[in-house]
Amino acid sequence: MSKFKKSFHIKGRDFIRAGEASINVQNLLKSMDFDSRLIRRVAICGYESEMNVVMHGGDGSLSLEVDTDKMILEISDDGPGIEDIELAMKAGYSTANDDHREMGFGAGMGLPNMKKNSDQIHIQSNTDRGTVVRMIFFLPEGGKTD
Amino acid sequence: MSQKQISTCYVRFDQNLCAGYGSCLRVCPTKAIRVKNKKAVRIVEQCIGCGECIRSCREGAVSAATEGPKVLEKDHVAIALVSPVLYAQFPGVMPKDVLLGLRHMGFEHTIDMSYFLEIFQFATEEFISRNRKTQTAPWPLISPVCPVVVRLIAFRFPNLLPNVLPVLRPVALMAREVKSRLIPEYSKNGKEVVLYYINPCPTKKEPACLPDGKQDVSSEIALGINDIYPELIKHVDQIKAADGIPFYQTRFEYETCATGNASMWGMSGGEIADMDIDKSLAVSGMEETINYLEKIELGLFQDIEYIEFRTCREGCLGGVLNAIDKYLAKGAVQKMVKRFGLGRRLHRENIMRMYEKGEFRSEKKPAKLTSLFGANKKALSIDSLQEIEKVMELIKGTDCMACGAPDCRTFAEDVVRGDAALKQCLFVDAQRRRKG
Repeated sequence: MSKFKKSFHIKGRDFIRAGEASINVQNLLKSMDFDSRLIRRVAICGYESEMNVVMHGGDGSLSLEVDTDKMILEISDDGPGIEDIELAMKAGYSTANDDHREMGFGAGMGLPNMKKNSDQIHIQSNTDRGTVVRMIFFLPEGGKTD
Repeated sequence: MSQKQISTCYVRFDQNLCAGYGSCLRVCPTKAIRVKNKKAVRIVEQCIGCGECIRSCREGAVSAATEGPKVLEKDHVAIALVSPVLYAQFPGVMPKDVLLGLRHMGFEHTIDMSYFLEIFQFATEEFISRNRKTQTAPWPLISPVCPVVVRLIAFRFPNLLPNVLPVLRPVALMAREVKSRLIPEYSKNGKEVVLYYINPCPTKKEPACLPDGKQDVSSEIALGINDIYPELIKHVDQIKAADGIPFYQTRFEYETCATGNASMWGMSGGEIADMDIDKSLAVSGMEETINYLEKIELGLFQDIEYIEFRTCREGCLGGVLNAIDKYLAKGAVQKMVKRFGLGRRLHRENIMRMYEKGEFRSEKKPAKLTSLFGANKKALSIDSLQEIEKVMELIKGTDCMACGAPDCRTFAEDVVRGDAALKQCLFVDAQRRRKG
Protein backbone atom coordinates (compact mmCIF):
# COMPACT_ATOMS: atom_id res chain seq x y z
CA MET A 1 0.00 0.00 0.00
CA SER A 2 1.08 3.48 -0.72
CA LYS A 3 0.50 6.84 0.86
CA PHE A 4 -2.42 9.14 0.36
CA LYS A 5 -1.87 12.86 0.47
CA LYS A 6 -4.22 15.76 0.08
CA SER A 7 -3.93 19.39 0.98
CA PHE A 8 -6.42 22.14 1.61
CA HIS A 9 -6.07 25.88 1.34
CA ILE A 10 -6.58 28.08 4.41
CA LYS A 11 -7.50 31.71 3.91
CA GLY A 12 -6.23 34.08 6.56
CA ARG A 13 -8.66 36.36 8.43
CA ASP A 14 -11.63 34.50 6.98
CA PHE A 15 -13.45 33.64 10.17
CA ILE A 16 -16.63 32.61 8.40
CA ARG A 17 -15.00 29.75 6.52
CA ALA A 18 -12.52 28.92 9.23
CA GLY A 19 -12.64 25.24 10.10
CA GLU A 20 -13.49 24.05 6.60
CA ALA A 21 -10.12 22.41 5.99
CA SER A 22 -10.38 20.49 9.26
CA ILE A 23 -13.92 19.43 8.47
CA ASN A 24 -12.71 18.14 5.09
CA VAL A 25 -9.95 16.18 6.78
CA GLN A 26 -12.44 14.82 9.27
CA ASN A 27 -14.82 13.69 6.51
CA LEU A 28 -11.98 12.01 4.63
CA LEU A 29 -10.90 10.09 7.71
CA LYS A 30 -14.50 9.14 8.45
CA SER A 31 -14.87 7.58 5.01
CA MET A 32 -11.83 5.45 5.85
CA ASP A 33 -13.41 4.30 9.08
CA PHE A 34 -10.58 5.05 11.50
CA ASP A 35 -11.16 4.82 15.21
CA SER A 36 -13.43 7.70 16.18
CA ARG A 37 -11.18 8.84 19.03
CA LEU A 38 -8.24 9.09 16.65
CA ILE A 39 -10.32 11.08 14.16
CA ARG A 40 -11.33 13.42 16.93
CA ARG A 41 -7.73 13.99 17.98
CA VAL A 42 -6.65 14.72 14.41
CA ALA A 43 -9.64 17.00 13.88
CA ILE A 44 -8.97 18.98 17.06
CA CYS A 45 -5.32 19.45 16.08
CA GLY A 46 -6.38 20.45 12.59
CA TYR A 47 -8.88 22.96 13.87
CA GLU A 48 -6.55 24.53 16.44
CA SER A 49 -3.80 24.98 13.91
CA GLU A 50 -6.20 26.17 11.24
CA MET A 51 -7.47 28.83 13.62
CA ASN A 52 -3.91 29.91 14.32
CA VAL A 53 -3.38 30.47 10.62
CA VAL A 54 -6.69 32.31 10.27
CA MET A 55 -5.94 34.55 13.26
CA HIS A 56 -2.25 35.24 12.87
CA GLY A 57 -0.86 33.62 9.82
CA GLY A 58 -2.15 35.11 6.62
CA ASP A 59 -2.67 32.45 3.97
CA GLY A 60 -1.64 28.88 4.44
CA SER A 61 -2.42 25.27 3.80
CA LEU A 62 -3.29 22.16 5.73
CA SER A 63 -2.17 18.83 4.36
CA LEU A 64 -3.01 15.34 5.43
CA GLU A 65 -0.86 12.34 4.69
CA VAL A 66 -2.15 8.88 5.47
CA ASP A 67 0.32 6.04 5.57
CA THR A 68 -0.07 2.47 6.74
CA ASP A 69 1.52 3.13 10.10
CA LYS A 70 0.97 6.82 10.70
CA MET A 71 -0.82 9.99 9.75
CA ILE A 72 0.86 13.33 9.31
CA LEU A 73 -0.90 16.65 9.53
CA GLU A 74 1.13 19.56 8.27
CA ILE A 75 0.07 23.17 8.50
CA SER A 76 2.11 25.91 6.93
CA ASP A 77 1.56 29.60 6.51
CA ASP A 78 3.33 32.74 5.34
CA GLY A 79 2.48 34.69 8.46
CA PRO A 80 4.57 36.57 11.01
CA GLY A 81 6.03 33.45 12.60
CA ILE A 82 6.29 32.57 16.28
CA GLU A 83 8.86 34.60 18.20
CA ASP A 84 9.34 32.30 21.16
CA ILE A 85 8.15 28.76 20.52
CA GLU A 86 8.79 27.58 24.07
CA LEU A 87 6.65 30.38 25.46
CA ALA A 88 3.91 29.74 22.89
CA MET A 89 3.68 26.11 24.04
CA LYS A 90 2.73 27.25 27.55
CA ALA A 91 -0.93 26.92 28.44
CA GLY A 92 -2.57 30.31 28.67
CA TYR A 93 0.05 32.22 26.74
CA SER A 94 -1.58 34.05 23.87
CA THR A 95 -0.79 36.74 21.34
CA ALA A 96 -4.40 37.08 20.26
CA ASN A 97 -5.84 40.58 20.14
CA ASP A 98 -9.12 41.84 21.59
CA ASP A 99 -11.03 41.18 18.37
CA HIS A 100 -10.05 37.51 18.51
CA ARG A 101 -11.07 37.29 22.16
CA GLU A 102 -14.41 38.82 21.44
CA MET A 103 -15.07 35.95 19.04
CA GLY A 104 -14.21 33.45 21.75
CA PHE A 105 -10.66 32.66 20.67
CA GLY A 106 -7.31 33.46 22.16
CA ALA A 107 -7.38 31.43 25.37
CA GLY A 108 -3.78 30.45 24.81
CA MET A 109 -4.66 26.78 24.53
CA GLY A 110 -4.01 26.23 20.83
CA LEU A 111 -0.49 24.82 20.76
CA PRO A 112 -0.79 23.05 24.14
CA ASN A 113 -3.95 21.37 22.86
CA MET A 114 -2.18 20.29 19.68
CA LYS A 115 0.67 18.87 21.72
CA LYS A 116 -1.74 16.99 23.95
CA ASN A 117 -3.68 15.46 21.07
CA SER A 118 -0.84 14.46 18.75
CA ASP A 119 1.85 11.84 19.27
CA GLN A 120 4.63 14.09 18.00
CA ILE A 121 4.72 17.77 17.16
CA HIS A 122 7.43 19.66 15.33
CA ILE A 123 7.33 23.40 14.90
CA GLN A 124 9.54 25.33 12.54
CA SER A 125 9.12 29.02 12.65
CA ASN A 126 10.96 32.03 11.43
CA THR A 127 9.80 35.55 12.01
CA ASP A 128 10.09 36.41 8.35
CA ARG A 129 9.25 33.15 6.65
CA GLY A 130 6.15 31.90 8.42
CA THR A 131 5.47 28.75 10.38
CA VAL A 132 5.27 25.05 9.66
CA VAL A 133 3.65 22.78 12.22
CA ARG A 134 3.95 19.07 11.65
CA MET A 135 1.99 16.65 13.79
CA ILE A 136 2.30 12.89 13.71
CA PHE A 137 -0.28 10.37 14.82
CA PHE A 138 0.82 6.75 15.02
CA LEU A 139 -1.70 4.16 13.95
CA PRO A 140 -2.19 1.02 15.98
CA GLU A 141 -0.75 -2.24 14.66
CA GLY A 142 -2.44 -3.28 11.42
CA GLY A 143 -3.29 0.26 10.40
CA LYS A 144 -6.90 0.55 11.35
CA THR A 145 -8.94 -0.32 14.35
CA ASP A 146 -12.66 -0.47 14.67
CA MET B 1 -51.50 5.20 -7.79
CA SER B 2 -48.88 4.34 -10.30
CA GLN B 3 -47.08 1.06 -10.68
CA LYS B 4 -43.65 2.58 -10.97
CA GLN B 5 -42.88 3.47 -7.44
CA ILE B 6 -39.87 3.27 -5.31
CA SER B 7 -39.95 4.06 -1.65
CA THR B 8 -37.98 4.27 1.52
CA CYS B 9 -39.47 3.99 4.99
CA TYR B 10 -40.46 7.64 4.86
CA VAL B 11 -40.91 8.79 1.28
CA ARG B 12 -42.30 7.53 -2.03
CA PHE B 13 -41.00 8.40 -5.49
CA ASP B 14 -43.40 8.24 -8.40
CA GLN B 15 -41.36 7.56 -11.50
CA ASN B 16 -44.19 8.52 -13.85
CA LEU B 17 -44.13 12.04 -12.49
CA CYS B 18 -40.36 12.32 -12.20
CA ALA B 19 -38.86 14.63 -14.82
CA GLY B 20 -35.29 13.90 -13.89
CA TYR B 21 -34.32 17.40 -12.79
CA GLY B 22 -32.46 15.85 -9.94
CA SER B 23 -33.22 18.56 -7.42
CA CYS B 24 -33.81 15.85 -4.84
CA LEU B 25 -30.29 14.50 -5.34
CA ARG B 26 -28.66 17.69 -4.25
CA VAL B 27 -30.68 18.24 -1.09
CA CYS B 28 -30.46 14.71 0.27
CA PRO B 29 -28.25 14.91 3.39
CA THR B 30 -27.27 11.26 3.20
CA LYS B 31 -26.73 11.36 -0.58
CA ALA B 32 -29.08 8.44 -0.87
CA ILE B 33 -30.64 9.13 -4.27
CA ARG B 34 -29.35 8.44 -7.80
CA VAL B 35 -31.03 9.19 -11.12
CA LYS B 36 -30.90 6.91 -14.10
CA ASN B 37 -32.33 7.51 -17.57
CA LYS B 38 -33.76 10.81 -16.40
CA LYS B 39 -35.88 9.04 -13.83
CA ALA B 40 -35.25 8.94 -10.17
CA VAL B 41 -34.38 6.63 -8.57
CA ARG B 42 -32.16 4.18 -7.02
CA ILE B 43 -31.84 4.36 -3.26
CA VAL B 44 -28.29 3.61 -2.30
CA GLU B 45 -28.06 4.86 1.27
CA GLN B 46 -30.14 5.12 4.38
CA CYS B 47 -33.11 7.48 4.21
CA ILE B 48 -33.47 9.40 7.46
CA GLY B 49 -36.87 10.84 6.63
CA CYS B 50 -36.03 14.55 6.55
CA GLY B 51 -38.44 15.21 3.68
CA GLU B 52 -36.09 17.59 1.85
CA CYS B 53 -36.69 15.66 -1.39
CA ILE B 54 -40.44 16.26 -1.04
CA ARG B 55 -39.80 19.95 -0.56
CA SER B 56 -37.45 20.22 -3.52
CA CYS B 57 -39.47 18.35 -6.13
CA ARG B 58 -41.25 20.66 -8.54
CA GLU B 59 -43.17 17.85 -10.19
CA GLY B 60 -44.71 16.50 -7.02
CA ALA B 61 -43.15 13.13 -7.73
CA VAL B 62 -42.01 12.67 -4.15
CA SER B 63 -44.51 12.25 -1.37
CA ALA B 64 -44.53 11.18 2.24
CA ALA B 65 -45.10 7.52 2.96
CA THR B 66 -47.99 8.41 5.26
CA GLU B 67 -51.29 6.64 4.96
CA GLY B 68 -52.96 9.43 3.05
CA PRO B 69 -56.39 10.94 3.61
CA LYS B 70 -58.14 7.77 4.53
CA VAL B 71 -61.71 8.17 5.66
CA LEU B 72 -61.99 7.32 9.31
CA GLU B 73 -63.63 3.95 9.55
CA LYS B 74 -66.38 3.55 12.07
CA ASP B 75 -65.39 0.10 13.21
CA HIS B 76 -62.62 1.26 15.48
CA VAL B 77 -61.93 3.90 18.11
CA ALA B 78 -59.77 6.60 16.56
CA ILE B 79 -57.42 8.54 18.79
CA ALA B 80 -55.61 11.58 17.39
CA LEU B 81 -52.17 12.39 18.77
CA VAL B 82 -51.83 16.01 17.83
CA SER B 83 -48.63 17.91 17.24
CA PRO B 84 -49.03 21.53 18.41
CA VAL B 85 -47.94 22.60 14.94
CA LEU B 86 -51.50 21.81 13.85
CA TYR B 87 -52.91 24.80 15.77
CA ALA B 88 -50.61 27.17 13.91
CA GLN B 89 -52.30 26.15 10.65
CA PHE B 90 -55.44 27.98 11.74
CA PRO B 91 -54.50 31.58 12.52
CA GLY B 92 -57.01 33.22 14.83
CA VAL B 93 -58.62 29.94 15.87
CA MET B 94 -58.34 28.70 19.43
CA PRO B 95 -56.56 25.34 19.82
CA LYS B 96 -59.57 23.89 21.59
CA ASP B 97 -61.69 24.59 18.52
CA VAL B 98 -59.17 22.82 16.30
CA LEU B 99 -59.33 19.82 18.61
CA LEU B 100 -63.14 19.97 18.57
CA GLY B 101 -62.96 19.99 14.78
CA LEU B 102 -60.97 16.79 14.93
CA ARG B 103 -63.60 15.21 17.14
CA HIS B 104 -66.26 16.27 14.65
CA MET B 105 -64.23 14.49 12.00
CA GLY B 106 -64.67 11.28 13.92
CA PHE B 107 -61.77 11.07 16.35
CA GLU B 108 -62.96 9.74 19.68
CA HIS B 109 -60.13 11.34 21.59
CA THR B 110 -57.79 14.17 20.70
CA ILE B 111 -54.59 14.12 22.69
CA ASP B 112 -52.90 17.48 22.95
CA MET B 113 -49.14 17.37 23.38
CA SER B 114 -48.63 20.35 25.69
CA TYR B 115 -48.88 18.24 28.83
CA PHE B 116 -46.06 16.00 27.62
CA LEU B 117 -43.97 18.87 26.36
CA GLU B 118 -43.96 20.26 29.89
CA ILE B 119 -42.95 16.92 31.36
CA PHE B 120 -40.10 16.82 28.85
CA GLN B 121 -39.00 20.33 29.80
CA PHE B 122 -38.90 19.52 33.51
CA ALA B 123 -37.00 16.31 32.90
CA THR B 124 -34.52 18.06 30.61
CA GLU B 125 -33.84 20.85 33.08
CA GLU B 126 -33.28 18.30 35.80
CA PHE B 127 -30.91 16.22 33.71
CA ILE B 128 -28.90 19.28 32.75
CA SER B 129 -28.63 20.61 36.29
CA ARG B 130 -27.43 17.21 37.51
CA ASN B 131 -25.05 16.86 34.61
CA ARG B 132 -23.31 20.04 35.73
CA LYS B 133 -22.10 18.10 38.74
CA THR B 134 -21.83 14.54 37.50
CA GLN B 135 -20.66 15.19 33.92
CA THR B 136 -22.22 11.92 32.81
CA ALA B 137 -22.86 13.25 29.32
CA PRO B 138 -20.61 15.49 27.21
CA TRP B 139 -21.49 19.13 26.52
CA PRO B 140 -23.20 20.42 24.50
CA LEU B 141 -26.23 18.20 24.96
CA ILE B 142 -28.28 17.85 21.81
CA SER B 143 -32.06 17.89 21.82
CA PRO B 144 -33.57 14.47 20.98
CA VAL B 145 -36.87 16.04 19.89
CA CYS B 146 -36.31 16.15 16.13
CA PRO B 147 -35.90 12.51 15.09
CA VAL B 148 -34.22 13.51 11.83
CA VAL B 149 -31.43 15.17 13.78
CA VAL B 150 -30.89 12.02 15.82
CA ARG B 151 -30.82 9.87 12.68
CA LEU B 152 -28.54 12.33 10.95
CA ILE B 153 -26.16 12.06 13.90
CA ALA B 154 -26.31 8.26 13.73
CA PHE B 155 -25.55 8.41 10.01
CA ARG B 156 -22.93 11.12 9.72
CA PHE B 157 -21.79 11.97 13.24
CA PRO B 158 -21.90 8.78 15.31
CA ASN B 159 -19.27 10.30 17.63
CA LEU B 160 -21.91 12.70 18.82
CA LEU B 161 -24.49 10.10 19.86
CA PRO B 162 -23.41 10.40 23.52
CA ASN B 163 -24.31 14.11 23.32
CA VAL B 164 -27.95 13.33 22.55
CA LEU B 165 -30.00 14.06 25.67
CA PRO B 166 -31.14 10.69 27.12
CA VAL B 167 -34.68 11.80 27.90
CA LEU B 168 -37.75 10.33 26.20
CA ARG B 169 -39.17 12.54 23.46
CA PRO B 170 -42.53 14.21 24.16
CA VAL B 171 -44.23 12.14 21.46
CA ALA B 172 -42.95 8.94 23.09
CA LEU B 173 -44.24 10.10 26.48
CA MET B 174 -47.57 10.83 24.89
CA ALA B 175 -47.82 7.47 23.16
CA ARG B 176 -46.88 5.68 26.36
CA GLU B 177 -49.58 7.45 28.35
CA VAL B 178 -52.24 6.72 25.76
CA LYS B 179 -51.23 3.07 25.52
CA SER B 180 -51.23 2.51 29.24
CA ARG B 181 -54.34 4.51 30.18
CA LEU B 182 -56.66 4.93 27.26
CA ILE B 183 -56.29 1.82 25.18
CA PRO B 184 -56.85 -0.73 27.99
CA GLU B 185 -60.26 0.82 28.70
CA TYR B 186 -61.39 0.04 25.20
CA SER B 187 -59.67 -3.27 24.69
CA LYS B 188 -61.42 -4.49 27.86
CA ASN B 189 -64.65 -4.18 25.92
CA GLY B 190 -63.14 -5.78 22.86
CA LYS B 191 -62.94 -2.57 20.83
CA GLU B 192 -60.14 -1.98 18.42
CA VAL B 193 -58.16 1.21 18.90
CA VAL B 194 -56.17 3.00 16.22
CA LEU B 195 -53.70 5.79 17.02
CA TYR B 196 -53.37 8.52 14.42
CA TYR B 197 -50.23 10.63 14.66
CA ILE B 198 -50.93 13.99 13.05
CA ASN B 199 -47.55 15.27 11.96
CA PRO B 200 -45.90 18.19 10.19
CA CYS B 201 -43.24 15.95 8.65
CA PRO B 202 -42.94 12.39 7.32
CA THR B 203 -40.77 11.31 10.15
CA LYS B 204 -42.26 11.50 13.61
CA LYS B 205 -42.98 7.83 14.01
CA GLU B 206 -40.54 4.97 13.67
CA PRO B 207 -42.17 3.18 10.78
CA ALA B 208 -42.92 -0.49 10.89
CA CYS B 209 -40.67 -1.18 7.94
CA LEU B 210 -37.61 -0.65 10.10
CA PRO B 211 -36.28 -3.74 11.81
CA ASP B 212 -37.28 -2.45 15.23
CA GLY B 213 -40.61 -0.95 14.21
CA LYS B 214 -42.73 -2.66 16.81
CA GLN B 215 -46.22 -3.66 15.87
CA ASP B 216 -48.41 -3.07 18.87
CA VAL B 217 -51.72 -4.62 19.72
CA SER B 218 -53.36 -1.46 18.53
CA SER B 219 -52.35 -0.21 15.15
CA GLU B 220 -50.70 3.13 14.55
CA ILE B 221 -51.11 5.33 11.53
CA ALA B 222 -49.14 8.42 10.57
CA LEU B 223 -51.03 11.24 8.90
CA GLY B 224 -49.61 14.42 7.49
CA ILE B 225 -51.23 17.66 8.59
CA ASN B 226 -51.95 18.31 4.91
CA ASP B 227 -53.77 14.97 4.70
CA ILE B 228 -56.47 16.04 7.13
CA TYR B 229 -56.43 19.81 6.59
CA PRO B 230 -59.00 20.06 3.77
CA GLU B 231 -61.64 18.29 5.82
CA LEU B 232 -60.63 19.72 9.17
CA ILE B 233 -60.90 23.31 7.99
CA LYS B 234 -64.55 22.72 7.04
CA HIS B 235 -65.34 21.60 10.56
CA VAL B 236 -63.32 24.42 12.10
CA ASP B 237 -65.18 26.97 10.00
CA GLN B 238 -68.49 25.51 11.14
CA ILE B 239 -67.40 25.71 14.76
CA LYS B 240 -66.30 29.31 14.30
CA ALA B 241 -69.63 30.20 12.70
CA ALA B 242 -71.68 28.50 15.42
CA ASP B 243 -73.37 30.72 17.98
CA GLY B 244 -72.00 30.66 21.49
CA ILE B 245 -69.42 28.36 22.91
CA PRO B 246 -70.07 24.78 21.92
CA PHE B 247 -70.48 22.46 24.85
CA TYR B 248 -68.24 19.46 24.98
CA GLN B 249 -66.69 17.27 27.55
CA THR B 250 -63.43 15.42 27.62
CA ARG B 251 -62.26 12.79 30.04
CA PHE B 252 -58.52 13.31 30.29
CA GLU B 253 -56.62 16.40 31.29
CA TYR B 254 -54.46 16.20 28.20
CA GLU B 255 -57.33 16.16 25.76
CA THR B 256 -57.78 19.92 25.60
CA CYS B 257 -56.19 23.24 26.41
CA ALA B 258 -53.03 23.79 24.48
CA THR B 259 -50.78 26.30 26.20
CA GLY B 260 -48.80 29.16 24.70
CA ASN B 261 -45.71 27.26 25.72
CA ALA B 262 -46.83 24.30 23.60
CA SER B 263 -47.72 26.28 20.50
CA MET B 264 -44.31 27.92 20.76
CA TRP B 265 -42.72 24.49 20.23
CA GLY B 266 -43.44 24.60 16.54
CA MET B 267 -41.09 27.54 16.14
CA SER B 268 -37.33 27.29 16.09
CA GLY B 269 -36.25 28.16 19.63
CA GLY B 270 -39.64 27.23 21.06
CA GLU B 271 -38.35 24.19 22.89
CA ILE B 272 -35.81 26.17 24.91
CA ALA B 273 -37.79 29.42 25.22
CA ASP B 274 -39.24 28.54 28.60
CA MET B 275 -36.48 26.25 29.82
CA ASP B 276 -34.27 27.12 32.71
CA ILE B 277 -30.85 26.51 31.13
CA ASP B 278 -27.81 28.74 31.45
CA LYS B 279 -26.53 28.63 27.91
CA SER B 280 -28.57 27.24 25.08
CA LEU B 281 -28.92 27.70 21.33
CA ALA B 282 -31.55 26.98 18.73
CA VAL B 283 -30.43 26.07 15.22
CA SER B 284 -32.78 25.36 12.33
CA GLY B 285 -32.42 24.27 8.72
CA MET B 286 -30.63 21.22 7.32
CA GLU B 287 -27.53 23.04 6.13
CA GLU B 288 -27.08 24.95 9.37
CA THR B 289 -27.66 21.84 11.43
CA ILE B 290 -24.95 19.93 9.55
CA ASN B 291 -22.66 22.93 9.87
CA TYR B 292 -23.05 23.04 13.63
CA LEU B 293 -22.74 19.28 14.08
CA GLU B 294 -19.48 19.37 12.14
CA LYS B 295 -18.17 22.05 14.46
CA ILE B 296 -19.30 20.25 17.59
CA GLU B 297 -17.33 17.29 16.32
CA LEU B 298 -14.27 19.52 16.08
CA GLY B 299 -14.65 20.20 19.79
CA LEU B 300 -16.40 23.55 19.61
CA PHE B 301 -19.39 24.79 21.64
CA GLN B 302 -18.44 22.88 24.76
CA ASP B 303 -19.39 25.95 26.78
CA ILE B 304 -23.01 25.55 25.68
CA GLU B 305 -25.30 23.26 27.64
CA TYR B 306 -28.11 22.49 25.26
CA ILE B 307 -28.69 22.90 21.55
CA GLU B 308 -32.10 22.60 19.97
CA PHE B 309 -31.70 21.41 16.38
CA ARG B 310 -34.48 21.27 13.79
CA THR B 311 -33.60 20.26 10.26
CA CYS B 312 -36.56 22.21 8.88
CA ARG B 313 -36.05 25.93 8.58
CA GLU B 314 -37.94 27.90 11.25
CA GLY B 315 -38.53 24.64 13.13
CA CYS B 316 -41.47 22.24 12.83
CA LEU B 317 -43.62 25.01 11.35
CA GLY B 318 -41.40 24.53 8.30
CA GLY B 319 -42.21 20.82 8.07
CA VAL B 320 -43.01 19.62 4.56
CA LEU B 321 -46.43 18.25 5.44
CA ASN B 322 -47.84 21.48 6.79
CA ALA B 323 -50.87 23.09 5.21
CA ILE B 324 -49.91 26.77 5.35
CA ASP B 325 -46.69 28.70 4.85
CA LYS B 326 -44.23 28.66 7.72
CA TYR B 327 -44.11 32.42 8.14
CA LEU B 328 -47.89 32.69 8.29
CA ALA B 329 -47.89 29.92 10.85
CA LYS B 330 -45.17 31.68 12.81
CA GLY B 331 -47.32 34.79 12.97
CA ALA B 332 -50.17 32.70 14.35
CA VAL B 333 -47.90 31.21 17.01
CA GLN B 334 -46.60 34.62 18.04
CA LYS B 335 -50.17 35.82 18.50
CA MET B 336 -50.96 32.77 20.59
CA VAL B 337 -47.91 33.23 22.79
CA LYS B 338 -48.81 36.85 23.32
CA ARG B 339 -52.26 35.81 24.42
CA PHE B 340 -51.46 32.83 26.63
CA GLY B 341 -47.93 33.56 27.81
CA LEU B 342 -45.34 30.86 28.31
CA GLY B 343 -46.31 29.53 31.75
CA ARG B 344 -46.56 25.84 32.56
CA ARG B 345 -49.50 24.04 34.15
CA LEU B 346 -47.76 21.08 35.71
CA HIS B 347 -45.98 21.15 39.03
CA ARG B 348 -42.33 20.44 39.19
CA GLU B 349 -42.57 18.32 42.36
CA ASN B 350 -44.91 15.76 40.77
CA ILE B 351 -42.69 15.40 37.74
CA MET B 352 -39.57 15.05 39.90
CA ARG B 353 -41.05 12.06 41.71
CA MET B 354 -41.45 10.31 38.38
CA TYR B 355 -37.99 11.47 37.31
CA GLU B 356 -36.44 9.78 40.33
CA LYS B 357 -38.05 6.54 39.29
CA GLY B 358 -36.35 6.87 35.92
CA GLU B 359 -39.60 7.13 34.00
CA PHE B 360 -38.30 9.56 31.43
CA ARG B 361 -35.00 7.95 30.69
CA SER B 362 -34.61 7.11 27.04
CA GLU B 363 -33.44 3.60 26.37
CA LYS B 364 -32.25 4.18 22.86
CA LYS B 365 -28.82 2.68 22.57
CA PRO B 366 -26.31 4.44 20.34
CA ALA B 367 -25.20 1.12 18.86
CA LYS B 368 -28.74 0.32 17.83
CA LEU B 369 -29.24 3.70 16.21
CA THR B 370 -26.05 3.30 14.23
CA SER B 371 -27.12 -0.12 13.08
CA LEU B 372 -30.48 1.29 11.93
CA PHE B 373 -29.36 4.56 10.43
CA GLY B 374 -25.60 4.37 10.21
CA ALA B 375 -23.77 4.48 6.91
CA ASN B 376 -23.49 0.96 5.58
CA LYS B 377 -20.77 1.68 3.09
CA LYS B 378 -17.54 -0.19 3.31
CA ALA B 379 -14.59 1.84 4.54
CA LEU B 380 -12.29 3.21 1.85
CA SER B 381 -8.66 2.15 1.77
CA ILE B 382 -5.71 4.43 1.08
CA ASP B 383 -5.60 3.04 -2.47
CA SER B 384 -9.23 3.73 -3.16
CA LEU B 385 -8.84 7.27 -1.83
CA GLN B 386 -6.05 7.78 -4.34
CA GLU B 387 -8.22 6.36 -7.11
CA ILE B 388 -11.01 8.73 -6.14
CA GLU B 389 -8.60 11.65 -6.46
CA LYS B 390 -7.58 10.40 -9.91
CA VAL B 391 -11.18 10.13 -11.03
CA MET B 392 -11.81 13.63 -9.68
CA GLU B 393 -9.03 14.97 -11.87
CA LEU B 394 -10.49 13.27 -14.94
CA ILE B 395 -14.03 14.48 -14.46
CA LYS B 396 -13.15 18.14 -13.89
CA GLY B 397 -15.62 18.59 -11.05
CA THR B 398 -18.44 20.94 -11.93
CA ASP B 399 -21.07 19.01 -9.98
CA CYS B 400 -23.39 19.04 -13.02
CA MET B 401 -25.26 15.92 -11.85
CA ALA B 402 -25.72 14.68 -15.43
CA CYS B 403 -24.29 11.33 -14.36
CA GLY B 404 -27.12 10.90 -11.88
CA ALA B 405 -25.06 11.37 -8.73
CA PRO B 406 -25.49 14.38 -6.44
CA ASP B 407 -21.95 15.68 -6.92
CA CYS B 408 -18.60 14.77 -8.52
CA ARG B 409 -17.04 13.51 -5.33
CA THR B 410 -19.93 11.10 -4.72
CA PHE B 411 -19.77 9.97 -8.36
CA ALA B 412 -16.03 9.35 -8.07
CA GLU B 413 -16.67 7.30 -4.97
CA ASP B 414 -19.42 5.35 -6.77
CA VAL B 415 -16.99 4.62 -9.62
CA VAL B 416 -14.25 3.39 -7.31
CA ARG B 417 -16.73 1.27 -5.38
CA GLY B 418 -17.90 -0.21 -8.69
CA ASP B 419 -21.43 1.21 -8.46
CA ALA B 420 -21.09 3.52 -11.49
CA ALA B 421 -19.17 3.55 -14.76
CA LEU B 422 -16.72 6.33 -15.54
CA LYS B 423 -18.30 6.88 -18.98
CA GLN B 424 -21.50 8.07 -17.30
CA CYS B 425 -19.64 11.34 -16.83
CA LEU B 426 -20.36 13.63 -19.78
CA PHE B 427 -16.91 15.23 -19.69
CA VAL B 428 -15.12 11.92 -19.74
CA ASP B 429 -17.40 10.56 -22.45
CA ALA B 430 -16.95 13.63 -24.66
CA GLN B 431 -13.20 13.48 -24.29
CA ARG B 432 -13.17 9.81 -25.19
CA ARG B 433 -15.21 10.44 -28.33
CA ARG B 434 -12.92 13.24 -29.44
CA LYS B 435 -9.92 10.99 -29.07
CA GLY B 436 -11.69 7.87 -30.30
